[in-house]
Amino acid sequence: MSIQQPPDHGATTFESPVSSTGAATVSNGAQSKKQPPPEKPSDVRRRSHIILAFWLIVLCLGLPIWWRTTTIYRADLPVQEMLDWADGKACRPVFPLRISIQANALQEQEAQNLLRLTQHALDDLNDFSGHHLRLQLAPPAATENHDSESVLTIRLVPGDTTTAKFDPHEPMLDITYPPNAIPSPTSSSSSLATYVAGQLRSTFAEEQATISHLLSTNAIPSEHRPQGLSPDVSESLSKRTTRSVKYAPTYHLTFSLFTSGPLPSSWDIDGAINEYMKPVLDVLSPIHNFTIDTQVQLYAAPGVHSQVLNKEDLSSFINAAEWPLSPSIGGAPTINFIVFVGNQTIAAPSQGPGEGDDAPGSASHSWLIPQWGTVYLLSLPDDTTRLSSEALKQPLLTFTSHLLSLTGTPQSGSLPLRLSTLARIRSADLLLRASSTLGSLARLALALPSISIPSRVADGVSKTMHHLRLACETLGGPEGLAHARIAEAEAERAFFEKSMVGQLYFPDEHKIAVYMPLLGPVAVPLVMGLLNELKAWRKRRREAAEQGAGKKKE
Amino acid sequence: MDGAKVTPGRTAGLYVGAAVLRLAIFTLLPGLPDLLTGRVEISTPVTSFKRLQEGLFLYNHNVSPYDGGVYHQAPLFLPLFSLLPSFASLPIFTYLLYIAVDLLSASALWKIADSGEAGSSALFTSSRREKRWSGFVIAAVFLFNPFTVATCIGRSTSVFTTCAILHAIAKAVAGAPLGAMVALSFASYLSMYPLLLLPPLVLLCYDRQRPERATKSSLQFAGICASIVAGVVAILFQMSYFITGSWEFLPSTYGVQLTLSDLAPNVGLWWYFFIEMFDSFRSFFLAVFWLHLSSYVGGLTVRIRRQPLVVMTLLLGIFAIFKPYPSISDTSLFLALVPLYRHVFPLMRYTFVSAAVIMYASFLGPAFYYLWIYAGSGNANFFYAITLVWGLGKSLLVCDLMFAVLRDEWEVERPEMAGKEIRQI
Repeated sequence: MSIQQPPDHGATTFESPVSSTGAATVSNGAQSKKQPPPEKPSDVRRRSHIILAFWLIVLCLGLPIWWRTTTIYRADLPVQEMLDWADGKACRPVFPLRISIQANALQEQEAQNLLRLTQHALDDLNDFSGHHLRLQLAPPAATENHDSESVLTIRLVPGDTTTAKFDPHEPMLDITYPPNAIPSPTSSSSSLATYVAGQLRSTFAEEQATISHLLSTNAIPSEHRPQGLSPDVSESLSKRTTRSVKYAPTYHLTFSLFTSGPLPSSWDIDGAINEYMKPVLDVLSPIHNFTIDTQVQLYAAPGVHSQVLNKEDLSSFINAAEWPLSPSIGGAPTINFIVFVGNQTIAAPSQGPGEGDDAPGSASHSWLIPQWGTVYLLSLPDDTTRLSSEALKQPLLTFTSHLLSLTGTPQSGSLPLRLSTLARIRSADLLLRASSTLGSLARLALALPSISIPSRVADGVSKTMHHLRLACETLGGPEGLAHARIAEAEAERAFFEKSMVGQLYFPDEHKIAVYMPLLGPVAVPLVMGLLNELKAWRKRRREAAEQGAGKKKE
Repeated sequence: MDGAKVTPGRTAGLYVGAAVLRLAIFTLLPGLPDLLTGRVEISTPVTSFKRLQEGLFLYNHNVSPYDGGVYHQAPLFLPLFSLLPSFASLPIFTYLLYIAVDLLSASALWKIADSGEAGSSALFTSSRREKRWSGFVIAAVFLFNPFTVATCIGRSTSVFTTCAILHAIAKAVAGAPLGAMVALSFASYLSMYPLLLLPPLVLLCYDRQRPERATKSSLQFAGICASIVAGVVAILFQMSYFITGSWEFLPSTYGVQLTLSDLAPNVGLWWYFFIEMFDSFRSFFLAVFWLHLSSYVGGLTVRIRRQPLVVMTLLLGIFAIFKPYPSISDTSLFLALVPLYRHVFPLMRYTFVSAAVIMYASFLGPAFYYLWIYAGSGNANFFYAITLVWGLGKSLLVCDLMFAVLRDEWEVERPEMAGKEIRQI
């Protein structure tokens, strides 16, 4: 032990409490410092063993454990491909829209000619290559029924004047034309063809604008990007986007009945939803899933008590502190539909343009709260105890139309057309979203070389790309939408992998802060002990060599 | 204190006195046992009596006791405690069991003290060995130590580990290696960490072998001892497997100690650290903490080769500071062995400081815990700070004892330096 060691031998961790004899007891000034007696060889050997015992643990157990527990697993990601998707190089979103024309009253050749002219007129009007309308002649046999392959069927019917009317239940456009409007086979232009082209163009203008708005806000190279979106169009589009709820695969619909007094205490909401809302929910089901719950709250005080509600009052009408409106249940965003039974009315000018429902019957009963839901004011006779399904008809119809605008459905055109447009917009939106998520993930993986990438993420990425490819091929159709939905969900899951998010803000420099406080103090005695021991060993060897040399000399 | 003749009457008096004290507390203060059972200083997730009852309830209803993740103790406790009459109706039998275990520990300690191993081992004889306390005094110090009494009243299952460790040492001192190894296997089976005591215990057994049947080769002896421990532990595991019907108990008992999955506060240093730890470094630092705990074994065993009992005492002190779920029961075991070194007490330099720090921490600890958990006027840092002080006090004591023992060795080597001031160079 170190008690007898020469001064240049430092003490190892364990030897620290043991000290050497005080050579300081110098009684005689002339006497120089007393040297401690030489160390015994057994003590020297023992000290080496102690140091060895510690270092063996560090080297044989510590290092392998350190290596095993801190190596970062990085699954291989097809980074370049992912970036290609994000830059729009992998897929060019093209929506070939087939429109069939039923012209049973026309001769085959006349119809062909009209079709050719209309297509010319359309091509002249269209400036966006991604959104392409292609006309085709429906076989005469297929009368009356809508062809499922095409998005819109135009029925040309002879009549007195040129009119256009949408069928309310089927994606059909009835166009009547005067007999003299049929172009002759030789003519290069026709008023009817121009009219039809103009009708089609205005029908799809909104969809086209929306999709080009989507593409322009995403990182799509400029050659695919449509030109000439006027600022006001794009402004109204972004306004509509801000009004609609953020896209989610599932929405949670909450129907709440708030009454200012004790009555009505029950409502036939089940029947009303089944009757008035279910059809629209069914149509929306390829795009969104919906979960529904309902609640009734009596004696609910609104946030504003004035009899007539001004526009300013509407925003504070919801009594967020007392009404049990949970922001979101189980991760899905909630859309709230509130029927408030009371005697308050909305002041007429409060109805802003484009805000709320403009139907004359319900003009002053309801308003839409962007990204949140709808409030409907219902005034009832005082003694109503149960709201019947009929009484709920008007509120629910309002809610349905608001639900459509909250989900981002375009506003023009007939309902079937609006819904199919919504499906196309959604597929484009999801495709772009998933692509940009992939791009972010790839950039993240490149930017942080120390982040771990679990194999689940790699799985998610390959699934995403598979479905993206399929979606890109079948864009515009129902499978395209389904694939885009899967791709988006997988991409989100891969990006928000739990173990990666935690490491996102963990730069390498922090590792010093992690390792140093504990391992630093531990390492100092270990390393110092080893160094001292090595020094002593070298000194002993040198002395032994000198002694050997001296002996040889003798 | 020493020199007094120990008559059988005095022995019986001591044991009866300790038993009566505990019984009196159990019966006269019926609220106290449950209060102490809930204290974090006494009950850790791996020793709590409450959790034992939960496991027992599940076991008696033919559900795996480890379902629900509450019970983290060895499976063999379950048949033992279900043999006793139900705790709810007849708690006296449980009390008697705990009192008996404490008395057994004390008798083992008595044997260790009377053997004189602390003062003169096979390879080393202290010049101060005459000045020592008798087994009676040492057993009394153990039995009436408030930490021991509190552990017994709190019915922490760590008393069984304490008893097994003390018996392992007593058997080793008595020259019965087989008994020592079996006792150590039981201790390791119950709490896992006593396995680290194997190297010094083997040395102690080797040094104290009976001459008539001594194994000469130390390696051979160590091999035999290690295989005895491995065999007994394997048998215990097999029995546990038969009792619980699966190997689920391994991750639930030892896995919890290894991975510290239950971060309930205790008087140790681990829980706070791992609450704050980054998840990606958790496994690495778990390994570091365990390596730190076990790294002392080799160095100490080599350094104080001539006095293996000292090594075990120091290691028990280190375990009481650095193990994952320490409680005051570990401290009471360490404090039980310290009086064996009465002869080096004059060489210790910080007895007052370490005694004061330990007492300071044991009074303020509960107060700070109360401030944090119940009063809400403190936070976790309060309690962690006081456990740091508690650890500091114990490490002062460990270091001081080590210093005194080494100084004692050195004075034997160089008698002319006895009593002189020393200085580290």
